[in-house]
Amino acid sequence: MLNMLLFLLQSNPDAIAQPVYADNSSVWRHMSDALHQSVYRVLTLLIAVLPGILAFFVALVVFSLIGAVLSAVLRRVLVLFKFDDRMAQARGNTEWTPSAPPSVLVARVCFWAWVLIGLLIGVAAFDTSYAAGTPLPISLLPYLTHAVGAILLLIAGTLIARFLARSVLIGAVNAQLQYARFLSLGVKWLVLVLTAAMVLDHLEVGGNIVELAFGILFGGIVLALALAIGLGSRDLVSRSLESRVERAGERNAGPQNVSAQGPSETIRHF
Amino acid sequence: MKAGAVAASAGDFSPKRMATPDPISVATSVLERPAADLLVMVAAMPADQLERVLRNLTAAFPAESLLVATQNEFASGAFADLRIVLAPPTGAAWTSTAADFANAFELAREENVRAVLLLGPGSNSLNAAALRALAGAVLSSAVDLAIPFYSLPPYAGLINSAILYPLTRALFASRIRFPQAIDLCLSLRMAERLAAAAHRFTASNQPDALIWPVNEAVAAGYAMDEFDVGPRALPQPADVDVNATLSLVTGSLFADVEAKAALWQRPRRLPPARRPLPDWIKSDGAPEAARLIESFRFAYTHLQEIWSLVLPPNSLLGLKRLSITDAAAFRVPDPLWARIVFDFLIAYRLRTINRGHLLGAFIPLYLAWVAGHINITAAGCSSERHIEAVAAAFEADKPYMVSRWRWPDRFKS
Repeated sequence: MLNMLLFLLQSNPDAIAQPVYADNSSVWRHMSDALHQSVYRVLTLLIAVLPGILAFFVALVVFSLIGAVLSAVLRRVLVLFKFDDRMAQARGNTEWTPSAPPSVLVARVCFWAWVLIGLLIGVAAFDTSYAAGTPLPISLLPYLTHAVGAILLLIAGTLIARFLARSVLIGAVNAQLQYARFLSLGVKWLVLVLTAAMVLDHLEVGGNIVELAFGILFGGIVLALALAIGLGSRDLVSRSLESRVERAGERNAGPQNVSAQGPSETIRHF
Repeated sequence: MKAGAVAASAGDFSPKRMATPDPISVATSVLERPAADLLVMVAAMPADQLERVLRNLTAAFPAESLLVATQNEFASGAFADLRIVLAPPTGAAWTSTAADFANAFELAREENVRAVLLLGPGSNSLNAAALRALAGAVLSSAVDLAIPFYSLPPYAGLINSAILYPLTRALFASRIRFPQAIDLCLSLRMAERLAAAAHRFTASNQPDALIWPVNEAVAAGYAMDEFDVGPRALPQPADVDVNATLSLVTGSLFADVEAKAALWQRPRRLPPARRPLPDWIKSDGAPEAARLIESFRFAYTHLQEIWSLVLPPNSLLGLKRLSITDAAAFRVPDPLWARIVFDFLIAYRLRTINRGHLLGAFIPLYLAWVAGHINITAAGCSSERHIEAVAAAFEADKPYMVSRWRWPDRFKS
C-alpha cells in the first residue's frame, strides 16, 4: 500500500514536466557553458582555417602577378618576331577563327596557366592547414566546390543554347521556314532544360524528382517539335527530298550540265 | 609527242588534288621536247568540249608553242601536233581553286614556259580570238595578269556584281569586272605569287579554297588588264544552294581583305575606265522579284536582333523603310548597300558575332539587293549602268570603311 502511494506521488504530471533543480543559477551556468564551448569551437575553427585562407590568397595574387608579367613579356616577344603574321600565313583561311590575334591568345594562355598554378598551390596550402588544424567537420566546403562546377555548367549551357538558337534561327529563315522563331526557341529551351537538370544533378538537389521532371519536360519538348515539324512541313520535306534526288541525278550525269546557259530570265548568282 | 601517248601513261597517275613535287605524268623526256611558250591548264570537261577548246587553241597559237595539261584522259589522235599531258584532278567545277594555281605553277616551272593560261569548265565557248587576246598580252610581257571580261546576261554573276566587283574596286582600286574569273592568263612570276598564296591553303589541307588573283596582283604591284572575250557559259556550283555559295565566296573575300588590310588602307588612285559600258543585253523577261522581296521581309521580322549587332541605326532605319516598301518600288539604295557590305566586313573582322552566323544573316540582305536589281533593270535601266553606280557608291564610302577599320570603337554609340 505504501508502495502504491509512492508511485502515485511520483506519477504526478507537474513533477514529470518540470525537472527540479536545486539551484536556479545552474541553468544559466549550463547555457553559458554551452555558448562558450560553441564560440570556442568556431573561433578555433577560424583560427585553424585563417592561415590557410591567407595562404590561398597570397599564392593566388603572387602567381597572378607573375603570370601578368610573363604574359606581357611573352606578347612583346611574339609581336617582335611577327608571330601573328607567321601564324596567318601558316594557317590560311581555316574555319577556326579566334576572337583575338594568336599572340594575344598565347599570352592569355600563359597568364591563366599561372593563375591556375597559383590556385592549385593555394588550395593545397588551404587543404593542409585545414586538415592539420581542425578535426571539425564542415559540410559547406564540398558543397561550395559543387556550386562552382554548377555555375560553370550553367554558363556553358547558356552560351551553347544561345549559339544553337541563333544557328537554327538563321538557317530556318534562309530556308524560308515559317516557324523559324518557334524552332529556334524550342532548341534554346531544350538546351536550357538540359543544362538546368545537369546543374541540379551536380548540386545533388532534388534527386529522382529532377531526373523524372527532366525526362518528362525534355521528352515533351522533343515530341512537340517533332509533331510541329512533321505535321507542318510534310510537303516541304518531300519537295526537299525530291529536289535532292534530282540534283544527285544531274551530278551523276557529269559536268555536261555546266555548259548549258539557262534562259536569260533565270537568276544566276555566280 | 602524240596525244595518244598520254592515255598510255594515265595508268601511272594516282589522283591527287594538291600540288606535289612531280604531279604531272609526261610520256616523253624533257630532252626530246621543244620548249613551249604557253602552258594551257584545261579543267575537266566532256570530250566534245575539250576537242572544241583544243581546236580553238590550235587556231589561236602555233602548236609547237603550246603545252596543254588536261584533267581528261585524252586519247584522240586528231591533235597529234599538240603536246598534251595529264594534269592532276582538282575540284575546279565552277571556279579555280588553290590546288589549280599550285599545280599550274609547278608544271610551268618544270616546263620553263613563259605564261600560263587557265581555262575553266565550259571554256569551249571562248573563241580563238579571245584566247589569243588573253595569252598574247602576257606573252608580249605587257601584263602579268590577263583577265577576261565576259558578256553575261543581266541576271547572271550577281554575287560578283553586288559584292566582289564593287568591293575589289573600292578597296584595291581595280576596275577588273570579274575578279574571280574562271579563265586567266598569268605570267610566270604571277603564277608563282598565286602558287605561294595557294600553298598556305593546300598545306593546311584546303585545296578547294579560293584565291583572289586581282588582290594578289595589286599587292605585288604587277600589271593587269582585262580583255573582252564575249559571251561565256559560266559553270555554276554543284550545290545550287545560294546560301552555301554566298557564304563561301564572301567569307573568302572578307578573309583576304582582312589579310591585306595594310595594303588597301593606303590611298590608291583608281585607273580611268578604258572600256565603254557594254551594250545592254535585254532579257526576254525579268525574273520574279516578289519571292525575293517576301523572303527579305520574312528575314526582317526574324533577324532584326542579329542585324542590330552589326549595322548602325541609320542602316537599320533604311532596312525598315525597305521592309514596308511596295514590291514594285523595291530597291536597295546604292549607298545603303555599300554601307551594309562594309559594316558586315567590319563585323567579320571584329568577330562581333560568330562568322558563320554573320554570313548567314547577310544572305537575306543580298537577296534584297538582287530583288532591287531586278526591279531597276525591269524599269529600263541598263544592268551594267546600275552595277557601275553601285561600285561608285562603294568608292564614295571607302573613307567610312577605313575609319571604322582603324577605330571601330568610335562608332559604337
